[in-house]
Amino acid sequence: MIIDCNDRERIFLDGTPEEWAALEAHATTCSACHEELTAWKNLSATASEMHEEWNSPALWPRIERALAEQSVSAKTSRWERLLGNWNLTSMQWQTAVAALALIAITGTALWVGVHRNIGDPFVGSLLKDPAVRNVEKAEAAYEQAIDKLDAQARPQLEKASTPLMASYREKLQVLDSAIADLKSQAGINPANGHLRRQLLAMYQEKQATLEDVLEAKQQ
Amino acid sequence: MGTMGLALPWDVRITQQHLQRGRVDSPETTSGVSSAAAQVSADDAALAAACQAGDLRAFERLYQLHGSRMKSMARNLLGTSSDAEDAVQDTFLKIQRSIATFRGQSSFATWSFRILINTCYDTRRGRMRKKEVSQDEPENPEAAPRPEPRAPSAHPSLKLALERAVAQLTRQQRDVFLMYEVEGMRHSEIAGVLEISETASKNTLFQAKKNLRQMLEAPRSSAAEAR
Repeated sequence: MIIDCNDRERIFLDGTPEEWAALEAHATTCSACHEELTAWKNLSATASEMHEEWNSPALWPRIERALAEQSVSAKTSRWERLLGNWNLTSMQWQTAVAALALIAITGTALWVGVHRNIGDPFVGSLLKDPAVRNVEKAEAAYEQAIDKLDAQARPQLEKASTPLMASYREKLQVLDSAIADLKSQAGINPANGHLRRQLLAMYQEKQATLEDVLEAKQQ
Repeated sequence: MGTMGLALPWDVRITQQHLQRGRVDSPETTSGVSSAAAQVSADDAALAAACQAGDLRAFERLYQLHGSRMKSMARNLLGTSSDAEDAVQDTFLKIQRSIATFRGQSSFATWSFRILINTCYDTRRGRMRKKEVSQDEPENPEAAPRPEPRAPSAHPSLKLALERAVAQLTRQQRDVFLMYEVEGMRHSEIAGVLEISETASKNTLFQAKKNLRQMLEAPRSSAAEAR
C-alpha cells in the first residue's frame, strides 16, 4: 500500500491497521509525517496514563448500604403515597369511596339479576348469543306445546256456536295476531328481554284460554 | 485559544506498548468474536434483569465489572478521587431508582455509564453554582478544591498539561477523548453512551486530538526558554 502526506489525517481519523502500517513506513522517510505521527501517538500514550486505579475498600459497602436504604424507603414511600394521602375529610377520598361503592352496588345488582333469571328461559336483559339461542329454543318448545293444545281445542272452537266459544275464538285470534307481531319484532331485536317477556305473557294467556276452551268442552 | 504554557516534549521516548496501542474498530478486529459478544450481551441482559428484580448482589457484580473504570472516568471529570467515589455512589443510586425505565435499547453497562457521566456533569454544575454564590464572600483557601496528587509517572508535567487541555475541550470532545483514549472504550460503546453515531464518535475524537495537539504545542522559542 502506497500512501503520502495527504492521507495522514484521513488515517488519523479512521484508518485501517494496514493504512496505519503504511503511514508508519512512509514516516520513516518523511520528517513532517514522522513528527505528526509521533505527536499523535504520544497524545494517546499520555492519555492512557490518565487512567487511574486505586483501592477503595469502603466504597462498595457504602454503596450497598445506601442502595438498601433507598430500597426500603422506596417501598415505604409507595405505601405512604397510597395510604398517607388519604385524608378522611378530603374530597378525593370521598370521591374514591363513592366510586368504589357505586362499582360494588352495580356489580352486585348485575350478578343478582343474571343469576336470578337462570331458570327463566324468556328473561335476561344481558342476553348474549348463546343465551339468545337458549331462549329461542325454549320458546320454540313452548310454542310447540301450545300448538298441540291448540290442535286439541280447535275443533271445539270451530264447531261451537255459543257466545262463550265465539268470544274465546276472537280472543285467540287477537292473541295470535299479537304473538305474530311480537315474534317479528323479536326477530329484529332478539336480545330484547322486554319483548321476550311480553311474548311469554301472550303465550301464557293463549295457554290459559285454550285450557278454558278444553274445560268448557268437558263440561 | 492560547497554549497551556507547558510544552509537550513530543520527541519524548515512549514505550513500544504505547506505540502499538492504536485501536481500530474495524471488522478485521471484531470478526470471529460474535459468539463472545453474544455471551457478553446475554450476561449484560441477565445483570440488568437481576438489578431490576432488586438483587443487591447484581449491583455488586456491576460494581466489580465496571466500578474501576467508572471511578477513573469520574475522577478525570471531577478532579479528585473523593468526588469520583461520591459520583459512583450517586450513579448506583440513580441506577436503582430508574432501573424500571431501562428497556434494553442499549447495553446495561452503556446505560450505566451514561448515568455516571450525567451525574458527574451535575456535580460540576453544582460546583459552579456554589462558586458563583461564594464569589461575593471573602476567599477561603480551605474551600478551594485542591488538585489531588496523582501516582508518579514518567512525565508528570506532560500529564498535567494534558489534563488542563482536556478541561478546555467541549463536553462531547472531552467525553469521547476520555472514554476512548483514557478508558479504552470502543467507538461503538462510546456511541451508545453518548447516543451518537460511531462516525460522530470518530470525528469527535479526531477533532479533540487536533485541538489538544494545538493547545499543547508550545511555541518552540518558549519551549527552548523553559529548558
